[in-house]
Amino acid sequence: MKPVRIHGIGVAGGFGTGRQAFEKALESGLPPPSLRVDLAALEAFQPARTLRRMDSFSRLALLGAHLALEDAGLEPKGQDGLGLIIASGHGATVTTAHALLDSMLAGDAFTSPIHFANSMHNACAANISLLMGATGPNLTVSQFDLSVPSALLTAHRWLREGRVERLLFGAVDEHSDLLEHLWRRQRGESQDPMRPLATRVESARPGEGAAFFLLSTKEETAPVYAAFESVTVGRGAPVIPSSPLRVLGADGRVELGKTYGAMAEGARIACFTPHYGSFPASPAFDMAAAALMLRRGHAFASPQGEANDTESTVLAADEALGTQGLSCLTWVPEGFGVVDLAISA
Amino acid sequence: MDTKTKLKHALADELNLPELKEATFDDDAPLFGQGLGLDSLDAVELVIVIQKHFGVEIKDMDESRSAFASINALAAYIDQRLAA
Repeated sequence: MKPVRIHGIGVAGGFGTGRQAFEKALESGLPPPSLRVDLAALEAFQPARTLRRMDSFSRLALLGAHLALEDAGLEPKGQDGLGLIIASGHGATVTTAHALLDSMLAGDAFTSPIHFANSMHNACAANISLLMGATGPNLTVSQFDLSVPSALLTAHRWLREGRVERLLFGAVDEHSDLLEHLWRRQRGESQDPMRPLATRVESARPGEGAAFFLLSTKEETAPVYAAFESVTVGRGAPVIPSSPLRVLGADGRVELGKTYGAMAEGARIACFTPHYGSFPASPAFDMAAAALMLRRGHAFASPQGEANDTESTVLAADEALGTQGLSCLTWVPEGFGVVDLAISA
Repeated sequence: MDTKTKLKHALADELNLPELKEATFDDDAPLFGQGLGLDSLDAVELVIVIQKHFGVEIKDMDESRSAFASINALAAYIDQRLAA
């Protein structure tokens, strides 16, 4: 079977817009002061009129999609046969809340048809496919914190089965007033920096962003970042990967600290969540950071890595990775996801 | 705020048409087709926005056809209905 490779990375988060901005943030080791995304960069790709009926969630995803295609050297139109899979834990919360509130407060007759259409599960994927002429299959996967590994499992299978040769895989979640309200009720407000490797204290901060990847089994002209070894999703006790190099999806939520500690045991680890925050799509950013590390052959520093209280060694800035692959780990009480990436031949 | 200004602000925000707030916008320009470029989905949205912001319900298709001709026509229609 042909290997599945990453040829393009498009990311937007609090750190800025684009792969270069993300790399710069990772190299600096300094998380951004704000974890919100500025969508202004989308104007460089699409005229405002085209975006008129597209909500903020779709715009965020569209920005990531454009950036990934640009990074892979592909045109954002006429993408015949391109598949698209989107992972999102929350979906279009701003639009959905708007549509539901209109309906509940004023009746169904007052529900905006545009908000209603944008609140549909696959609307964002449809918007992107239409704009880019992506005629391959498209799908949206929502499984809260496990959305990314679950969607990636399907993406990997489509590519391995030859159902598509190229696929745009994206993870997106937006923050909103509704989510902020729920976050504060559950976790309070914290101005402290995220310290995800200090597993016994709560330090999570809500983030948002889009991380897209151009995945392909074809020989592409764009350089390869990394190749997939395997994608595993399961329930119960997590499968501890054989690779001693691990990128943890720990995000400062204290209830997850113990298991991330177990996953880190004896390994050389990295954790980058302070650069983008805590949200269901964040494992895709872990994967982007891992792919960038594999291509450069050296590690990035983990922000607040000195706070590590697990039985592990935190990879130092610019530490050589050798020829081993990297495992990206996500764990929540509902299950786990492991994405094994390798240096591409 | 007069009806026309309120209408333009409501449509600009709800239909994502910032050009309506620009001083250079021609209030006699057609809303549909050439002009502002609205379509049938926007027509449904317009009915909802007008009911939500002004309490004016548009049921008669013949009436709405002339009312939806332009911003000036729509503002006049709303004023007329509110005065009735």
